[in-house]
Amino acid sequence: MAGAALRDQLSALLSSMFSQGLVDEQFEQLQMLQDEGGTPGFVAEVVTLFCDDAERIIAEIATLLEQPIVSFDKVDAFVHQLKGSSASVGAQKVKFTCMQFRQFCQEKSRDGCLMALAVVRNEFYDLRNKFQTMLQLEQQIQAYDHKQQ
Amino acid sequence: MGAAAAVRVLVVDDSPVDRRVVERLLRTHCGGGGGAGGGEGAAPFHVTAVDSGKKAIELLALRLEGRRRKQLSPSAASDADEQAIDIVLTDYCMPEMTGYDLLKAIKALGSPNPIPVVVMSSENEPQRISRCLTAGAEDFILKPLKTNDVQRIRKCSGDRRCNNVSSSSSRTKTKTKLSPSDHTAKKVATPEQKTSHLAGLLAMVMNASSLEVSVSHYFQFVFKFILIAYAVLCLSQLLHRWSNGSFLSLWSA
Repeated sequence: MAGAALRDQLSALLSSMFSQGLVDEQFEQLQMLQDEGGTPGFVAEVVTLFCDDAERIIAEIATLLEQPIVSFDKVDAFVHQLKGSSASVGAQKVKFTCMQFRQFCQEKSRDGCLMALAVVRNEFYDLRNKFQTMLQLEQQIQAYDHKQQ
Repeated sequence: MGAAAAVRVLVVDDSPVDRRVVERLLRTHCGGGGGAGGGEGAAPFHVTAVDSGKKAIELLALRLEGRRRKQLSPSAASDADEQAIDIVLTDYCMPEMTGYDLLKAIKALGSPNPIPVVVMSSENEPQRISRCLTAGAEDFILKPLKTNDVQRIRKCSGDRRCNNVSSSSSRTKTKTKLSPSDHTAKKVATPEQKTSHLAGLLAMVMNASSLEVSVSHYFQFVFKFILIAYAVLCLSQLLHRWSNGSFLSLWSA
């Protein structure tokens, strides 16, 4: 019974993530790769890699924007990296906010960049929370299934 | 050797997320089937991933060195890690050494038979694409990679292996082709076709080793001799019958 409830929670979470546009079909592809390849934990691994990478990039951008003279090329390069990672994971909203961020980089507007950074950070933290909940639910389901056997 | 040999891919990307996703995509989609069995029928991918162009060049140079050493002393134990790479799959946007720089370096490293390189990028820029293709990239794939992109990668690596295989089998083909094509050269009407055939024959002969040339000449002579002998026999039979009786007797046994 508890197992079914957990599974319902997980599928509800995933469908809300899809419907809100937090993740797109690339994330679905990753789930299919995990199922087809018979490699449980692949999605967890990629999601963790993405979260660590995004955290690092956001911190680097924040440091660059604090400098007296901002190197917009370097900021743009980091934003490009984050955009690439989020596209590979299927983090759609983060990807879109990165695209908007790059506009401000090209306009060489520090205020615009700071604002865009705040938006990217918020979207990323929101997505990371959902990913963490998803991984927790998966672990609980696995533990429950293991106990049943 | 029952199953197809693995295709060894070197993935070059500065993003750890992309490296992991591409690696899993290649390992899962072994062309057609996929599944946990891995590589039933189609050749599986053996993936090595590095995070910079510099490391890629170092690894490729190391593998080439290993192969040369193995050629000099074949009895030496062959480490699986020392085997040469079949195809390089590189990201375009990388710090320090871009995918384009890496592409040119690989082509310079591996002349006369350079390793095929496929470039990936998240940007769909026609100038970038044509630049890479002109520099010698086999293909240009947009990120994020899809399942059918794996087929394109397999094809690009497959061409190289086909080249290696056909170069050894074409030698045996030239030997058997030499005699009948020699005769077809004689029978052909236009002189241009004749000269091109003869030129082709000469080229084939020159390409073959000295031993093969002497053997093929021998086969030529034997073939011609047999045909001429047979023709002479037939003619003599015909003349004999013609002199003996009427035309009708020609048809009788």
